[in-house]
Amino acid sequence: MNRRVPILRQGQTLIASVKDAVSDQEMRDLQARLLSDVVNTGASGAIIYVSALDVLDSFGSRMLSDIAGAIRLRGARTVIVGIQPEMALSMVLLGLSMGLVETALDLDAGLEILGHGVRL
Amino acid sequence: MNQILSRTLKHGTQTDSTVADALAWFDLSDSDRDQAAELAPISGQVADEIIENFYAHILKFDNASKQFSSDQQIARVKAGQKRYFTELISAKLDKAYIDERRRIGRIHEAAGITPTLYIGAYAYYLNRLGLLIREKMKADPDTAFKLYLSLQKIAHFDMALALETYVEAREHTIELQQHEISELPTPVLKLKDGLILIPVVGALNESRARMLTIALLEGIRHHRARAVVLDITGVAGVDNSVSIHLIQTMQAARLMGAKSVLTGVSVEVAQSLVRLGVSFGALNTAGDLQSGIAEAEAMLQRG
Repeated sequence: MNRRVPILRQGQTLIASVKDAVSDQEMRDLQARLLSDVVNTGASGAIIYVSALDVLDSFGSRMLSDIAGAIRLRGARTVIVGIQPEMALSMVLLGLSMGLVETALDLDAGLEILGHGVRL
Repeated sequence: MNQILSRTLKHGTQTDSTVADALAWFDLSDSDRDQAAELAPISGQVADEIIENFYAHILKFDNASKQFSSDQQIARVKAGQKRYFTELISAKLDKAYIDERRRIGRIHEAAGITPTLYIGAYAYYLNRLGLLIREKMKADPDTAFKLYLSLQKIAHFDMALALETYVEAREHTIELQQHEISELPTPVLKLKDGLILIPVVGALNESRARMLTIALLEGIRHHRARAVVLDITGVAGVDNSVSIHLIQTMQAARLMGAKSVLTGVSVEVAQSLVRLGVSFGALNTAGDLQSGIAEAEAMLQRG
């Protein structure tokens, strides 16, 4: 079964909400679709919402970094949103610090970073 | 052997076999017990003589006589001494005896009687006892000497028990204090919207560093913080694992979308971080809390 990660569009921003227990295949699928959506819609930013995830393994976090890097090459920005304390801690302990990818606490903060939100 | 030296006499750990081990270590046997018991018929008289003598001796010293505030108290302590002496001569050396001696040791410790005071008093006591035994048993110096040796063994056993309770009481105090330090709360203070401050005070060990991390990450979520100032001015020492933990904490904060500034890095902490090969490119630092807060506010402005 291949559940697809939904991608929503809000103005110039694409929002992908990753559900729990996402498979490697689904992540690859997300990468391909998100990239082509950025190309097709001319979006200026993408948000990957991971708050529903309990764990993010090394493959998952590398995929997120890769997605962000590829989108960057298309001239758009990516923000990873909703990493929870437990997950942040376990990622750091695994040495997954996500390099230079931008992060935000919640959707509001993520949209703000991309310049689409209402300033708090 | 190590067991005998370290554990056998400790509170709650003694079993019949460890008691036997401890007695063997002091070369104490039933024959010593029997020897000492020979003194029983005259023990009451001997005890009175020695105790009177002993208190006259004690009251010559300011330090020691401070322990006795009234004649009533002296009378009570004298009665206790007499019981102690009777037991020294006739009690069976078993768990009950050890427990009783330890109880007395704890009373002494709580009353502030120092080991010097205690051992000195015991030595004085033993000397008087020796002189008395020689006098009473002039006819049989051989038996008198053996008797004295047996009493000495028992006395040393007593002293060991008492000193163990002293050490244990101190250890207990230290444990409690360490516990208190590790339980020191790590407050998360909101300075303004999106900016929180975490002042860390006291010793940072690994478990406390972990609690700090959790408090910081939960604080970010709760206050929706986008910048964190972590102030470690009040931290005495930071070892390697704790340094690593601090860095990981700041990385985890970043994953949650909050930038952090480390302030109050002391000379020692700075040196230990540099030795670890921490590149400060990865960390935002500021010299003092004021500039750290200014830096964090600038971060908020930049968004």
